[in-house]
Amino acid sequence: MKKIFQVSDMECPNCAMHLESLEDTLPGIKRITASYKKQVMEVEFDETKISVEQIIKAANSLGYHPVITLN
Amino acid sequence: MNLLVPFLTGLTAGGLNCLAVQGGLLAGTLAYQLEQDMQTQSSKQMFRPRLAQPIFLFLAAKLVAYTLIGFLAGALGSIVMLTPMMRAVLMVAIGIFMLGNGLRMLKVHPIFRYFVIEPPASLTRYIRRKSKNGTSLVTPIFMGALTVLLPCGISQSMIALALATGNPFQGAAILFAFTLGTTPVFFAVSYFATRLGATMEKYFTRLVAITIIVLAFVSINSGLNLAGSPYSFNNLLMRIGVGSVDEQKTIPPTSSVPGSYVITVKDDGYFPKVLHLAANKPVQLDWVTNDVHSCILSVVIPALNYQKILPNTGKVAFNIPAQAKGTVIRYSCSMGMYTGQWVFDLE
Repeated sequence: MKKIFQVSDMECPNCAMHLESLEDTLPGIKRITASYKKQVMEVEFDETKISVEQIIKAANSLGYHPVITLN
Repeated sequence: MNLLVPFLTGLTAGGLNCLAVQGGLLAGTLAYQLEQDMQTQSSKQMFRPRLAQPIFLFLAAKLVAYTLIGFLAGALGSIVMLTPMMRAVLMVAIGIFMLGNGLRMLKVHPIFRYFVIEPPASLTRYIRRKSKNGTSLVTPIFMGALTVLLPCGISQSMIALALATGNPFQGAAILFAFTLGTTPVFFAVSYFATRLGATMEKYFTRLVAITIIVLAFVSINSGLNLAGSPYSFNNLLMRIGVGSVDEQKTIPPTSSVPGSYVITVKDDGYFPKVLHLAANKPVQLDWVTNDVHSCILSVVIPALNYQKILPNTGKVAFNIPAQAKGTVIRYSCSMGMYTGQWVFDLE
């Protein structure tokens, strides 16, 4: 499954890298691609292993507040 | 180029800004060492002698790598900047890039986010994973060198500045000074495993944003000077007569050749800055130097397509063809820092 999140509190390119590092720690995440310029985070994940809420919670723990987009 | 500016930029907010982008690499490199320390010592122990070596190697490799990047940027700049006009355009473009970066840091408008170059996700992923695998001393050296692939916004601005010098050695010196400036922050934060508070970080970010904006205006102004534009800060000041402009209307015949004039070139400018000359007649000028050692020796006159490197001490003659009444010819040093102009309005 692929979901796109709006992350409006990325303040520099490092925030994007910080969010992308979640793919190393969260189980069930296949790939995270974040863009500081677009303020979005694209997450490919296995929904049987991790939920959208868990992804948001993990991002919250890093200080970011992603909001899932309709696309 | 005064190397104190890039050094202080690195020492203040540059260190923090780059630490934010590249700190992950260093933390990843040190993770194994930290784990070992945790097993042998108290985690609250402030001094970690075993950590000093990999941090030092990481930072030394980073310093060497960025100095090399500065050298290459300066070398590239010397190839790109074949003509003063191309160089002027590049300086203005670099100034706009730096201005955008400064405004981005001040969060003036989301559009300025497009002024930063984001490394591709595949590259950051590769570096992140690589940083977690190594334990040998080669790893911190490798990771330190890899930081060139993750330049922070300020590093990018400094690389742009190095490019604008058009001189590999000046470019290397700028990046060396800047990276050296960032080193204490990297070392202190990594070694003592402490963090500066968010307020302090915000303060430094604003400071560096303002520094970058100032450097941006300097770069734009130098570019305009180099292009002989009447709209540079220096030329606008001369036009409106603000400040003490060394202006000369009656020229004493200081040269042995009748009708020739002297421009005295000193380390701090060309004198007189504004020289009024006779219109519709060829004029001979002598550039006179006496123990001068700065970029001012490299003179550029865009309107006459004239470029000359003057001797440290000596006299160089220059013939100006007849100019129509009212013509203004502007010139500057090759860095666009020092300017002067000739006004052809005398009978």
